[in-house]
Amino acid sequence: MINWTLYKRGVQGSLRMLIIFAAVITMYFTVIISMFDPALGSALDEFAKAMPELMAMVGMNPASAELVSFLEAYLYGFIMLVFPMIFSMLSANKLIARHVDRGSMTYLLAAPVKRQTVVFTQMKVMGTGIFVLVLYATLLGIVNCEISFPGELDIGKFILLNAGVLCLHLFIGGICFLCSCIFNDSKYAVGVGAGIPALGFILQMMANAGKELENVKYATFFTLFDSDGIIAGELGGVWGMLALFAGAIVLFSSAIVIFSKKDLHI
Amino acid sequence: MSVCEIWGLTRDYGKGRGVFDLSFSINRGEVFGFLGPNGAGKTTTIRHLMGFLKPEKGYCTIGGMDCWKNRADIQRTLGYIPGEMVFFDDMTGVDFLSFMAKYRKTKSNSRTKELLDRFELDARSKLKKMSKGMKQKVGIVAAFMHDPEVLILDEPTSGLDPLMQSRFIELVLEEKARGKTILMSSHMFEEVERTCNRVAIIRNGKLVATDAVETLKAAQEKKYVVTLENEDAAAAFAGEGLRVSDVSQNQVTVIVQNNIKELISVMNRYPITDIITPNQSLEEIFMQYYGGGRS
Repeated sequence: MINWTLYKRGVQGSLRMLIIFAAVITMYFTVIISMFDPALGSALDEFAKAMPELMAMVGMNPASAELVSFLEAYLYGFIMLVFPMIFSMLSANKLIARHVDRGSMTYLLAAPVKRQTVVFTQMKVMGTGIFVLVLYATLLGIVNCEISFPGELDIGKFILLNAGVLCLHLFIGGICFLCSCIFNDSKYAVGVGAGIPALGFILQMMANAGKELENVKYATFFTLFDSDGIIAGELGGVWGMLALFAGAIVLFSSAIVIFSKKDLHI
Repeated sequence: MSVCEIWGLTRDYGKGRGVFDLSFSINRGEVFGFLGPNGAGKTTTIRHLMGFLKPEKGYCTIGGMDCWKNRADIQRTLGYIPGEMVFFDDMTGVDFLSFMAKYRKTKSNSRTKELLDRFELDARSKLKKMSKGMKQKVGIVAAFMHDPEVLILDEPTSGLDPLMQSRFIELVLEEKARGKTILMSSHMFEEVERTCNRVAIIRNGKLVATDAVETLKAAQEKKYVVTLENEDAAAAFAGEGLRVSDVSQNQVTVIVQNNIKELISVMNRYPITDIITPNQSLEEIFMQYYGGGRS
């Protein structure tokens, strides 16, 4: 079901992109964690008071003075949503649609390797990338907090938060990957595959911004990643996570079935 | 015994494009030429054989297995040269060949080396920096390196220089002698003449004819452009009762079919300064043979 030669090549091919995204995440994590001040409230809270709409739009309004809520508000409302999402968009296109569009898919299929194996392997490559990014962020967050504020971080909740963000990104990855498998043209694969998650994110920003637009949240899957709920230990947060994970499985399975059955003009 | 069979294969792209009710079969140990003008449906047919496309009607099999349902199994003993060489961007030729060998789980690589030597290919440079000819050589090595039983070659010598074209013909002949079954689409008369047992021509998605290469050669009309010293001589030469298709200034174009001696004896009596045989494309020869128009 998996071709290790192809997997290895795929992972090597994602490496440069992963390093760039990891570097960006490192920068944000380091800067934002250093702004946390348990005694006085952080400098960022001052921003939140000064321009509440703008900060709310990008999900930055802390629920409490705890370190884990601080990270949730300032890193998991924007940074950890946008960057892995961009990674998925680029990666999904590169792994399937681009090969079909250019014609290099020919060589992957002119071999005794089933289409299911090819597409499953490429899916694993993408899944690995997403997992590594989220795992890196988790470790980075824990280490950073333990160095600057030993004992302050509720590590259990932080890991659960990251599990939630992982489910969200697997779901987003599933959308991108499915589109990459449906469309033969790279431009449509990117257009639709990146367009849907981007639209979802914009809708969430709208829902966050204003009271009158609050109901928009029912129109976007981002709502299923209820970071406040997860931190607060609410059951709804966990259900949302599971729903996203189940959705990801459905999306990836459809991608495999569709790619295996479709006509390829290569 | 037929190794590859196509029966009633149909795929309609609309506006007369596609392939329609195509049927033919290729025997074991046979080199089968597949000819036709651009857009006739050669590549579409090959895509069906490769399992990239599902037939709308009809079926095709290789080694008794369905080309769509058993595509991965068929690929075990199949070698393919695509009509267009597109590799992965960032690999060198050597990387690509070793990637393909591992990806296919091919064991021996002594044959790869032999093929690289045969085509004098130094595959260490980046694929995207290679010339068309070099890329074509990499494609040839990739198709033959796992010693497949069946070969599907889509214009395999495009981009190769004459020396390498003739090396490729030698390779095909060796493989034929070893009992391999080969389907080859081509535009080169020499290539087909020297290698193929039978030839099929396809036009507008329909099979026009299938015939032995000998039959084709016997029926071939050849053109000779004879240059004489002056226009008067050319006019007189044209009046000798040969089949003349064109006279322009001091050049006469003569069509010869199994009567070359007659041409030679006439030419002996005239002040000839030059004689050339313009290259005729295979399609042209075939079209003459079957008398069909271009429509």
